[in-house]
Amino acid sequence: MRSLLRRTGKEGSLANNGSGSSLFGFALSLPPLLLVLGFVGIPILIGFTFSLGFTKGPNRVIAIIGQQIHPKTHWWGTFAAYSDVFHDSRFVGDLVLTLAVTAISTVLVIVIALAIALHQRLVGGRTASVLATLSIVPLFVPVVISAWAIHTFYGGDGFMRSFFANIGINFPTLTSTSTAIVIGSVWTSLPFSILMISSGVQAVPDALIESAKDCGASTLKVISTVVVPLAQTPIIIAGSFTAIGIMGSFTIPLFLGPNQPTMLGVEISNFFGSYNRPQQSLVMAFIVFLAASGIAVLYIWSNVKSAKENGRI
Amino acid sequence: MKNVEANMGLELRGLKKILGGRVIIENLDLSMAKGEMISLLGPSGCGKTTTLRMIAGFLIPDAGTVKVAGKDVTNLGPEKRPSAMVFQNYALWPHMTVSRNVAYPLKIKGLGKIETAEKVEAALGLVNLLHHQDSRPGRISGGEQQRVALARALVQEPDVLLLDEPLSNLDAKLREKVREDIRELQRRLGITTVIVTHDQEEALSISDRVAVMNAGKIEQFSNPQDLYRHPATEYVATFIGALNRFEGNLVEGRIVSGSDVIGIRPEDLILSSQQNDDALPGTVELVIPRGHFFEVVIRREDGIFKAFTNEFIPAVGENVFVKIKKSLRYQNGKLVG
Ligand SMILES: Nc1ncnc2c1ncn2[C@@H]1O[C@H](COP(=O)(O)OP(=O)(O)OP(=O)(O)O)[C@@H](O)[C@H]1O
Ligand SMILES: [Mg+2]
Repeated sequence: MRSLLRRTGKEGSLANNGSGSSLFGFALSLPPLLLVLGFVGIPILIGFTFSLGFTKGPNRVIAIIGQQIHPKTHWWGTFAAYSDVFHDSRFVGDLVLTLAVTAISTVLVIVIALAIALHQRLVGGRTASVLATLSIVPLFVPVVISAWAIHTFYGGDGFMRSFFANIGINFPTLTSTSTAIVIGSVWTSLPFSILMISSGVQAVPDALIESAKDCGASTLKVISTVVVPLAQTPIIIAGSFTAIGIMGSFTIPLFLGPNQPTMLGVEISNFFGSYNRPQQSLVMAFIVFLAASGIAVLYIWSNVKSAKENGRI
Repeated sequence: MKNVEANMGLELRGLKKILGGRVIIENLDLSMAKGEMISLLGPSGCGKTTTLRMIAGFLIPDAGTVKVAGKDVTNLGPEKRPSAMVFQNYALWPHMTVSRNVAYPLKIKGLGKIETAEKVEAALGLVNLLHHQDSRPGRISGGEQQRVALARALVQEPDVLLLDEPLSNLDAKLREKVREDIRELQRRLGITTVIVTHDQEEALSISDRVAVMNAGKIEQFSNPQDLYRHPATEYVATFIGALNRFEGNLVEGRIVSGSDVIGIRPEDLILSSQQNDDALPGTVELVIPRGHFFEVVIRREDGIFKAFTNEFIPAVGENVFVKIKKSLRYQNGKLVG
């Protein structure tokens, strides 16, 4: 993390001090690049052509097995499967739910992670380090296990309801609600964000915080004008990774979410497996992919912006 | 009384600080007039930064009081104190331009846009940095960053300006220039200033008074001439300037065994080729040219002496007569004559 923040222009100039060495560098990175292209890029391309109704070649078998396949009607294909999906109120509900859960969970994750990181940085002490250590624990718990734990905790016959029933309060059943997806998503995404953000916040030198205080800034001002801007890059990395992860999540919504609407990860699987509609399933996948790319672009843009501000580019 | 208060720059009374279970500062007193510039001078680890941080408010003393311009600020945090600090590594915010760095304290105070811009321009003008207004701190030189930090402190119009080894990251030549610039600005603005340094030349050349610190205490707080000519303790005598130090007594120009400590400045030794009163013979062992003077090491029967001379320059191996013109006598580390 430190290197992400402190990277200077010098490294950049190292990489392109002559076209010969830059060509060599490119050649070095070629094998993994080709590997990614071969094992990820080509399947994506094939999938995309199938969503457009290219039912020949590598798509031949799936086109025979699948139902409600729309073969292409133009030389470039057809949007029939896309139109199917967008006219399906089920999909629209899923999309709204997916985006809402993603946005709410991401904001919660970043706020909680930032709060823990800031507390650790500015107040410190035992409780802070205990809290920070505890918050990493979910990283070591497999998602299925934690989903199940959350299920038994918030379920109809779960701990919360039993506990509150004893004191005469009817605690709501949270399982099979979108709230449970948010709880599960926050639980699983928090550790990574805390690691990312707290290392970023930790890397802000004491003197930069002290000089702001010396200038009369309150703690809140120090946070908003110095610490957060300086930790901007890790915060954005954490945010975009979290959002992309939650948007495509499967286990958590499958275990904890409602049947209808559900998150697209689950719906894609339903369409592919249960309903045997691979083309529509792929269309949904591409829509999620598009949204995730949007977040990725945001991420790159902010990186470039902060690099420019710090004089790295 | 009123007048005294109005004239007061900074007053520290009975300051004490314990860090990591160790007493770092013990019963420290210091008071300086408004507009005065003083140095805290001492070896590494003697508590200079700790003292400065108690003045700035980053550390709350375990005992004692801090008064700035007659006002007790002991229990105020740094954001509430009328002091401004220049940090050793300048502590400029890399995500803000030079002028936004300087404008920051004014923005925090809630000053209007126009007034802020005027003051920032004036402050950057003072340190000759108007041409770098829109640069990022990472893109300007160390000396320039140092001046930005100074401008950011000055723009706050503090009652006390605090500088923690502000020159230690600059090369020798620049250091000399910047320290003169700081002194000139300090005089012009009449700003009460405390500068921390472990460089005695720096301390002596720019301060009205120097507080020589040792192990958490002030050994002597006086003007540079006084510190040099009348060092109150043996520690100050050895710390400031060069010194020939002998354990023994001085009787008729000769070191004899005894319980005192005798200190002799190298320039207080007179060399000549002829015998005169109180001068004792010795052999020249070393002659080192030191620019505008020579350092000569002479072995006498009562000890080895280092002398500074620029009139009579003997050759190695030559026999000369050495006379002690002035000496300092210490008992239990305290000056007695
Ligand atoms: N937070 C702390 N906890 C424990 N000991 C500390 C702490 N801060 C400083 N000290 C100790 O207090 C002593 C004085 O430190 P201080 O930084 O004031 O020295 P200094 O005179 O500024 O030295 P330098 O010239 O090296 O900057 C040192 O021995 C240091 O180890
Ligand atoms: Mg120090």
